[in-house]
Amino acid sequence: MAGKNEYTPVSSKIQKIIRHVPGEWTFRFTYVGPVKPGQFFEVSIPKVGEAPISVSGIGEDFVDLTIRKVGKVTDYLFDNYDEGDSLFIRGPYGNGFDVEDFEKGEIIIVAGGTAVSPIRGVVQHLCRANPADTHLIAGFKSPDEILFKADFAEWEKLIDVTMTVDGAPEGYEGRVGLVTQYIPEIPIRDISACKAIVVGPPPMIRFSIIELVKRGFNEENVWISDSRKMCCGMGKCGHCRIGGKYVCIDGPVFRYTEHRALID
Amino acid sequence: MGNLDINLKKIKKNAYRYSKVRGETASRVRCPGGEIDVDSLQRVVDIARKYGQGTVNITNRQGFEIPGISLEDIEEVNKALQLIIENRGVNQDEYNGGYPASGTRNVVACPGAKLCPFGCYDTKEFAQDIDRRIFPNDHHVKIAFTGCSNDCAHTRLNDFGIIGQTEPQYDPDRCVGCEQCVKYCSKRSVGALSVVNGKIVRDTNKCIGCGVCVVYCPTRAWTRSEEEYFRLVLLGRTGKKNPRMAEDFLKWADRASITKIIENVYAYLDDYLDRSAVEAKEHIGYIVDRTGFEEFLKYIMKDVHLGPKCEMQGRMYWGGKRYDQGNELRRSMYRFSEKEADQ
Amino acid sequence: MGYVLSTEGFDRTLAKLGERYRIFAPVLKAGEGRFKDTDVIRYDYVRSLEEMELETRSDYSFKEILLPISETLFFFTEDQIREANLDETPVLVFLRSCDIHAVRRLDQMYMGNGANDDYFYERRKELVKFVLIGCPASCENGFCRDMGTDRTEDYAFSLDVKDGKVYCDVRDPELEDAFRPCAEGTEDVVPQSPGESDCHVERPEEVPLSIFTDAMWDEYTKRCINCGRCNFVCPTCTCFTMQDLFYTDNGLVGERRRVNASCMVDGYTTVAGGLEHRKKNGERMRFKVLHKVYDFRKRFGYDMCVGCGRCDSVCPEYISFANCINKLNARVKELEVE
Repeated sequence: MAGKNEYTPVSSKIQKIIRHVPGEWTFRFTYVGPVKPGQFFEVSIPKVGEAPISVSGIGEDFVDLTIRKVGKVTDYLFDNYDEGDSLFIRGPYGNGFDVEDFEKGEIIIVAGGTAVSPIRGVVQHLCRANPADTHLIAGFKSPDEILFKADFAEWEKLIDVTMTVDGAPEGYEGRVGLVTQYIPEIPIRDISACKAIVVGPPPMIRFSIIELVKRGFNEENVWISDSRKMCCGMGKCGHCRIGGKYVCIDGPVFRYTEHRALID
Repeated sequence: MGNLDINLKKIKKNAYRYSKVRGETASRVRCPGGEIDVDSLQRVVDIARKYGQGTVNITNRQGFEIPGISLEDIEEVNKALQLIIENRGVNQDEYNGGYPASGTRNVVACPGAKLCPFGCYDTKEFAQDIDRRIFPNDHHVKIAFTGCSNDCAHTRLNDFGIIGQTEPQYDPDRCVGCEQCVKYCSKRSVGALSVVNGKIVRDTNKCIGCGVCVVYCPTRAWTRSEEEYFRLVLLGRTGKKNPRMAEDFLKWADRASITKIIENVYAYLDDYLDRSAVEAKEHIGYIVDRTGFEEFLKYIMKDVHLGPKCEMQGRMYWGGKRYDQGNELRRSMYRFSEKEADQ
Repeated sequence: MGYVLSTEGFDRTLAKLGERYRIFAPVLKAGEGRFKDTDVIRYDYVRSLEEMELETRSDYSFKEILLPISETLFFFTEDQIREANLDETPVLVFLRSCDIHAVRRLDQMYMGNGANDDYFYERRKELVKFVLIGCPASCENGFCRDMGTDRTEDYAFSLDVKDGKVYCDVRDPELEDAFRPCAEGTEDVVPQSPGESDCHVERPEEVPLSIFTDAMWDEYTKRCINCGRCNFVCPTCTCFTMQDLFYTDNGLVGERRRVNASCMVDGYTTVAGGLEHRKKNGERMRFKVLHKVYDFRKRFGYDMCVGCGRCDSVCPEYISFANCINKLNARVKELEVE
């Protein structure tokens, strides 16, 4: 007999919605089960479609999915669902981050925009497990688009946080500039052993890694998180394949040395 | 050369042309459906070498015309034409007598479904069948067959234009929603397709039956209808007085109806042709202008039983400039400049 | 056990099998080709030998039975999700050796890639038995021998028609009773295999990273029209896309289905927001070709392409997949020298 039908989505209640900015909200979905930062769920709206969304927070009985309103499914979600409503999810899928790998030694995390989601859980873990040696550089397009403000306020008390925006109106007091320009400024004791996680839009990842390598980072110590069109989440539909790898099952987290051999 | 005493009317009927060069003529070779076998083509070459000047004109209606033939050689040329006439299956009255008429013109056809990816039926076969049914006849009738709505055969400049149609058949179970049919229908045809719920909806009213969707479908979700359908356009013409495009008369018509309608036009011409017209030759449209379309309709639709899918145009109107009423150009630039000069 | 049957006898066998199985075989669909008066050979139900097209390779493969072109997965009512039913009648599929090898590739993707198996594929696959159609000669553009897919022993029974007689090697004991009473006799039967082909391919064992961005693919950017026929006819292409919909007459009810997808067709890599990862047709060609003869092997240890030649025959732009493999091989050799 055929096994379990993994395509069947499971009903889940929206416990809470955090409206960061107009087009970017975190939905807290009821979920009990194993899940890791960097993994993703398919948010499944019957008759509308499914969208792969990475996990931005993990709790006892929930997962947070931070969602950008950019397509048919997410438009429908933003326009029709509120706290207390139920919809469907399936997952988690993908490998995710093994947070234990980053508990020892120095680590620098570079994140851009919505891509803070997959590393939020990693940062939360390291705030507890390795606060002294954790450095976070987060970049957003503008002050209006900064996500997870409350989290950043918390994190700043525990770890080294560099928050920057690409551009800002006159009078903005925070840092302005691309994440890449802050990479050389992060104080690192042993560059060759320092680990790095880079998440964000493809060009940001590319230029951040150039900066890291310039500083003498060992490429073997760099992780990235990728994303592609992922219809099934289970290595069947084929859309997310790059070369011999399926982003949905072999990723989305890759070692940089493995990922650079994957050419679209 | 002796004193020439030629019955010009008779040789014109015999498919020889009046030439501006005194004593010369040109032989017109009829190729129904614009098709010729290589043996006949060789014979055309032989005639042009022996009796002509070594050149052959390709006519606008897909025949050949061999110029530079001496009027005195007509009898010999007619003998040389005999095998061409037989090979092309053209009806004849008298063995070795050449072509028995020239009024009903060569029936034109685009390459059609034998060759062209877009052809919806075998245009040449249909054209040749019609030619055998209507030829020889002295009435001036122009007919053209074209495989699809591209109308490469320029059927709209003919009295009867027959445009192939297919009714696209859609199997939603074979459709992946790649939307190539939608794209190509919009780019190469009329944009009759749209996507609803991942599947394709065809606006049956807008669809012209060109079959572009069938050609571009990568999964065989679109296929052709078993039935062949035709759009019949009527009474287009070139000419000095009122050139005009043929207008739609029927769409989704069947072959038997088309055949019968064309056959029927000859009785109408017998009854209404103005015998005093120059060379007793009139474009049918001018006769229809005289008798009214209803009378024409009565004749051509006699014993015609249109199929269930067929639609007929209720009122027919033709455009085209009426040169007999005026030769003005609208907003003529020449006159503008004249006016400016006056000011 | 090998059986020799008259064609009438074989039809009686088919009738007996038809009581237990739905029987699918390649069928010539007259007039259903791209162009007027052209045909297409694709899979459909059959009841007799005469209905099967056994001479010419099918244009579209058997895969439509295991992976329907358009398959409803779930029905949705206002608040319920219901899995689509499946006709559970067992199925017999007639196919050639290359295609039986293709089944292994489909299994690999749907039941051997990642932790989760594909439920909808699996439940169909469980119902199917395969019947080998012997090949007396190689197909147009086929290169099965070079891909090692010209023979198989993995079938329920085999079918060869020679001089008006039907020869079957029956391997599945459950089917013997359909043959025994209808056969004229028994003898050792070895299914025909195609032998030498005019078409040969040489595949590179390894490719350098630079091949991904090599100029050899630019040609296809210009020539290919990204219609995806090569993928849709391929017996080993497995990609699909999900579609959700509201029924237009009742917006509360709807369904989720999946349809075959093509990595050559626009939209394959487009993500929400509009970013498309492979825009050029040359890039898509490279993605497809390397998958078939390299990337799949890197992951699973054997090549994906089975050399059936369908993609060559179907291409409206006369792009030869086989020739592209050979071009790839030649280019890789050049790069090695450099």
